[in-house]
Amino acid sequence: MLATFLSQIVNGLILGSLIGLIALGYTMVYGIIQLINFAHGEVFMVGAYGGLFMFTYLLPTFIQRQWYLALPLLLVGGAAVSTVVAVLMERFAYRPLRGAPRLAPLITALGVSVALQELVRNFYPGATAALPFPRVFVQGTWEIPVPGGTVPLRWTGLLIIVLSLVLAAVLTAYVNGTRMGRAMRAVSQDSDTARLMGVDTDRVIVLTFALGAALAGVGGIMYGTDLGFVNIDMGFQNGIFAFTAAVLGGIGNLRGAVVGGIVIGLVKALGGQYLPGGTAYDYVWIFVVLIAVLVFRPQGFFGESERVRA
Amino acid sequence: MSAPSAAPEAGRTGGGPILAAAGVTMQFGGLRALGDVSFDLMEGQIIGLIGPNGAGKTTLFNCLTGLYAPTSGSVSLRGERLPQDPALVTEKGIARTFQNIRLFPSMTAEENVLVGRHVRMKQSPLSSLLHGPKFKRSEAAARVRSGELLNFVGLGRFSDELARNLPYGDQRRLEIARALATDPSVLLLDEPTAGMNAQETEATRQLIFAIRDLGISVVVIEHDTKFIFTLCDRVLVLVQGELLVEGGPDEVRGDPRVVEAYLGAPPEEVEARLYSSAAVDESPGGAHRKEDGP
Amino acid sequence: MTTTSPAGAPPAPRPAGPPPGRTARLIAALGPHATVLRGAGGLLTLIGALLPWATFVLNKGPYPDKATLQYFVAPFGVTGFRWQLLLFGIAALVLALAPVPARGRLLRGLAWGIIGIAVVNGLFITVEGGGLGAITVTDGSVACGAVVTLLAGVLVELGARAGGIEPRPVWTWRFGPWVERAVLVVVYVLMLFVVAATLTSGGTGGAANRYSGAVFLSFLAALGGAFAALHASGLMTWVATVAERHRVFSVLVLLAMALALPLTAAGNEYWMTVAANIGVYAATAIGLNIVVGLAGLLDLGYVAFLGIGAFVAANLSGAAAAKFDVHLPFALVMVISAVIAGMFGAVVGSPTLRVRGDYLAIVTLAFGEIFVRTAQNNIFGLTGGSNAIPGIPQVELFGTRFSDRIAVAGIQLPAGVLYYLLIVFLVAIVMLVFSHLKESRLGRAWIAIREDEDAARAMGIRTGPIKIMAFLCGATLAGFAGAFFAHKTGTVSYESFRFTESVTLIAAVILGGMGTVPGAVLGASLLFVLPEKLREFADYRLLLFGLALILIMRFRPQGLVPDRHRRAELARDPADEPPPGGSTAGSRAEVAA
Repeated sequence: MLATFLSQIVNGLILGSLIGLIALGYTMVYGIIQLINFAHGEVFMVGAYGGLFMFTYLLPTFIQRQWYLALPLLLVGGAAVSTVVAVLMERFAYRPLRGAPRLAPLITALGVSVALQELVRNFYPGATAALPFPRVFVQGTWEIPVPGGTVPLRWTGLLIIVLSLVLAAVLTAYVNGTRMGRAMRAVSQDSDTARLMGVDTDRVIVLTFALGAALAGVGGIMYGTDLGFVNIDMGFQNGIFAFTAAVLGGIGNLRGAVVGGIVIGLVKALGGQYLPGGTAYDYVWIFVVLIAVLVFRPQGFFGESERVRA
Repeated sequence: MSAPSAAPEAGRTGGGPILAAAGVTMQFGGLRALGDVSFDLMEGQIIGLIGPNGAGKTTLFNCLTGLYAPTSGSVSLRGERLPQDPALVTEKGIARTFQNIRLFPSMTAEENVLVGRHVRMKQSPLSSLLHGPKFKRSEAAARVRSGELLNFVGLGRFSDELARNLPYGDQRRLEIARALATDPSVLLLDEPTAGMNAQETEATRQLIFAIRDLGISVVVIEHDTKFIFTLCDRVLVLVQGELLVEGGPDEVRGDPRVVEAYLGAPPEEVEARLYSSAAVDESPGGAHRKEDGP
Repeated sequence: MTTTSPAGAPPAPRPAGPPPGRTARLIAALGPHATVLRGAGGLLTLIGALLPWATFVLNKGPYPDKATLQYFVAPFGVTGFRWQLLLFGIAALVLALAPVPARGRLLRGLAWGIIGIAVVNGLFITVEGGGLGAITVTDGSVACGAVVTLLAGVLVELGARAGGIEPRPVWTWRFGPWVERAVLVVVYVLMLFVVAATLTSGGTGGAANRYSGAVFLSFLAALGGAFAALHASGLMTWVATVAERHRVFSVLVLLAMALALPLTAAGNEYWMTVAANIGVYAATAIGLNIVVGLAGLLDLGYVAFLGIGAFVAANLSGAAAAKFDVHLPFALVMVISAVIAGMFGAVVGSPTLRVRGDYLAIVTLAFGEIFVRTAQNNIFGLTGGSNAIPGIPQVELFGTRFSDRIAVAGIQLPAGVLYYLLIVFLVAIVMLVFSHLKESRLGRAWIAIREDEDAARAMGIRTGPIKIMAFLCGATLAGFAGAFFAHKTGTVSYESFRFTESVTLIAAVILGGMGTVPGAVLGASLLFVLPEKLREFADYRLLLFGLALILIMRFRPQGLVPDRHRRAELARDPADEPPPGGSTAGSRAEVAA
C-alpha cells in the first residue's frame, strides 16, 4: 500500500517537474505580453525531434555510445532548435499582431501550434508514428526500500527532477538578479512605460520567448530519454498540462509554475491510481482540476487577483 | 435640439434627495481612495464634482454605479439602497458615461442607443427567435425612442454611422444618448467636455441643461472649473478622497481652502485664472488617465 | 508621390503613399506605356493559351488540355484552362483599348487570374514531368505556354498599375422592383452554375482523373480572377445593395437555388454526400458563430456539442449498439438532441460567470478534451468507445428511406438527394435563427459584450446569463446538426469530435467572417470542399489550416465576408433620405400613434 502510494508520488514528481519546466515558458510569455502561447507545447515537441535528428544524423557513433557526451550535446541541441523555432514564431506570427484585438493572437497561436505539428509530421522522416528516442542516460532504477516493499525511481526520472528544479532556480535567479531580468519584469508591469524608460521591449520579448523555449527544448530531450520514444502529440498534451500548471501557480509567477507542475503531476499519478476509472481517466482529472482552478481561484496559488477596470 | 416626446420616467419624491451617498469609503489595500464621502442629490439638480487628479472622483462614480463595492458606507436611490451590480444599478435608474469614451465601436450609433434600451425592453428568447408581432412592436418602439434620443443630442443624421467613425465630440454625445436610453433618473457624466473646443463645450452645457429640464438629476465630473461653476447648482470638491467643500458655485469659488488645495496657488492668481477661459486642465486625456485604472 | 500623367490622358490622382521603392519607380517609368503593356499582355495571353504547355506525355497520362496547335484543327475544341485563358486575353485586349470605368482595377483582377492559371498548371506539369524541361524545351519539342502566359499576366499587371488604379466605381442605378428582382434571379442562377461548376471541376479525384487537383486549382484561379474583376467593376457591390433592398426575395431565391443543385452537373451521389457533410458543418459553424462571432467568446471545444447531439441521436435511433432500446421518430430525436446539447452548452458556458477572455477559451478546451476522453472510454456505455455506435438506421419518411434514389416528375434524382434537401432546410432554419437572434435585444447584448464588457454592464446588461445564453444557443444548433450527422453517416465515433475538428470549425468561422451568416457557410464550404478536391494533399490539410489561420489573422482578420455594417456603409447613398411615406417611417409612425 505505502509502496504503491510512494511510487505514484515519485511518478507524479517526475512528470510534474517536467511539466513545471514547460510551464515556465507559458508563464513568462503570458506575464510579458498576456498571450497564451498555445504553440509552446509544440516548441517542446520540436526540441525533442531536433535532438533526435541531431543524434540520428549528426553525431558520430563514439559520441552516441557515451551518454556523458551525448546527453549534454542533445540538451544543447534540443534547446537550440526550440529557441530558433520560438524566435521565428515570435517574429513572424505574433509581433505583427501587437495591439490587435485579443482573440487574434490566440487564434494565431492555435494556427502556429497546428502548423508546427503538421510540419514535423509531414517532413520529419517516419514521424507519422511514434519514433524510438535514444536513451542517452544511465538506465535502470534505484529501488528505494520502504516498509512493505520498494519504491522504484528511474535514474532518468531523477535526472528530470534534479535538472528541472536546477534550471527553474537558475531562471528565477536570472529574472530577479540581472539587468535584463529587471527589464523583463518592467515590461510585464507596463510595457508602454518600460519603453518610455528606454527598455528595448522587442528585445525583451524575444528573449522571453527564447528562454522559455530553451527550457522546453531541454524538457523535450529529457522526456524522450525517459520514455524511450517521442510522438507528434506529446507537445499538445503536455502543453495543455503545462498551461494548467502555469494557471494553477498563478500565471506570470515562476515559482508558481513549478509548484503547479508538480501538483498536476501528482493529480495525474494519484488520480490514475485511486480515482474511479483508473488511468483511462487520469487526463480527465487534470482537466477537471484546470476548470476548477480557473473558476474558483483564477489568480492561482501565488497570483494576485485582478481588479475590474472602468 | 428638440426634447424627446416621451419624457423619461422620472420618479416623484416628496422633496427628499433622489440620490444619497452616506459615508462612502473605498480602500484599495493600504490606499484610501475615498474617505467618508456623503452628499445628497436633489431632484432636478446638477451637481459638479471637481478635484485634482487622483482625488477619487471616478472612484466615487464607480461606487455610485455598483462597479466597486464601497468598503463602508452606502448609496441609495430614493431611499432604497442600491444593489452591488452595475447592471442592476442601471436598471434602478442610474446611468453613466465614461471618462475615456467606451462606446461599442463596431455598432452603429442607433445600435449603441438600442443597447441602452436593453433594460427597458421586454423580449423573451422565444420571441427573439420567432420575430412575432409583439417582438416587432417592441423593436419598433425602441427604434423610435432611439431616434428621438439621437435627435435630442443632435446626432439624428448619423444613426447609421459606426460609432468608431464618429468625430470625438459626437462620440461623447452618443455616449450621453446611450445613457439616456436607459431612462435614468440620475445621470453621471465623467468629464463630458474633455478634449472639446469652446463651441462644443457650450453645446454640451446646453445639452446638460436640456437633460435637467427633462427631470433628470445630473452629476458632472469636470476639470474645467469655469464650465462647472456656470453649470451646476451645487459643487463638491474632492481632495485626496475627502469631501473638502460643498456648496453653491459662488461659495466654492470663494473658498480659500479650495483655492489652496485644488489649485495650489495664491488666491489673486487663481481668481484671475478662474475667470479666464483657460481650463485648469492642461492635458486632457493623458494626465488623468491614471485615475482610470484601479 | 505624384506622377505626371501622359499628355492627353485623364489625370490619375494618387494618394500620397510611402516613399517610392524600386517597384514604384518602375511603375512610374512605365506610365506612358500603360496601354501598350496592357495590350501586349492581352495578346500574349492569347498566344500562351494556344501554345503547347507540356513537352511530352506525362507519366500519369496526358495532361488535360495539353495544348498543341490542335486549336487550328478543331476551333471549337478548346476546353479547360485554355478556354478560360482565351476569354481573359480577349477581355484584357478589350479593356486595354476601351475606356471602361476603373479598368486598371479590372485588369489587375484579370492579371492575377492569368498568373494563377499559369502558375498552377505550370507547376503541376513541372512537378509531374520531373523538372523545368517539362514546360520549356526537351528533345527539340518546345512547350513554353506556361512561361509565356506567366509573362503575359505580369505584363497586364504592370500595365494596369502603370496606367493608374482608379477608385472602385459606385453604381446607384435604381430600376422598378420587378426589374431588380429579375436581375437578382439571373445573378443567383449564374451563381448556382458557378457553384456546380466549382464542385465538379476536376471530377471527384482519385484513379479516374489523376490531375483533378490541378484542374480544380486552375479553375479556382480563373474564378478568383473573374470575381476580382467583377468586384473591381463595382457591379458586385451594386448587386449586394439591390439584394439588401429585396432581402426576403433574395433569401427565397437563394433557397430555391440551393434546392436546385441536384438538377445541375453536381447532381450525383458523391457530391450530394459531400454537400450534406458541408451542410452539417455549416450549421455547426453558424452555431459557433453565435458564441465566437457575436458574443466574442472563443470556444475551443465546440465540436463536443455536435458530438453530444450525435451520440444522443444514436442512442435513441434503435441501433443495435445503442444503450436504450427505443426508436423515436427523427424529428423528435432531433429536438431531444438539440435540447440535451443545449443543456451541456449552458454547463460549459457557466464558468463565464467568473472566467473571462483567454481563460474562458482554455476552460472550453478542457471541456472538449474531457468529452473526447470520456467518449473514448465509453462512459456509461453511451458512446461505444473505440467501437463507436454503428448501424444507425436511415431516416425514413412515408416509407421512403432517405438514402434511396428517387424520381420526381420523371426526373431520376441521385441517391442521397433527400439528405441533401433535408440539410438545406436545416441550414436555412439555422441561418434564420442566427439572423433573428442577431437582430434582437439578445443579439445586441451579445455584440455589446463582445465590444466592451464593462460598458455593457453599465448599460444594464446582466452579462453572466446573457453569455450563458450564447453558449446555450450555439450548442443547441450544434446538437441539432449532430442528430442529422448521426443518421446520415450511420456510425458515430468519438474520433469525429477531436480538437482538430474544433479548430477547423473556428477556422471556418474566421475565414468566412465573424458574426456573419454567409461567412460561416462560405468558410465551412471552403474548408470541407478543399480537402475533398485536393486528395493529393490530404496529408497537408491540417498544415494548410494552421498556416491559413496565421495568415488570415495577419492580413484579413475580418474574414472573406465583412459584416453587414461595412456593406451598409458602402451601400448608403448620401442623398437617400427615406421618403415621408416610406416603409420604415410608416411603421414608426404607426407605433408612435
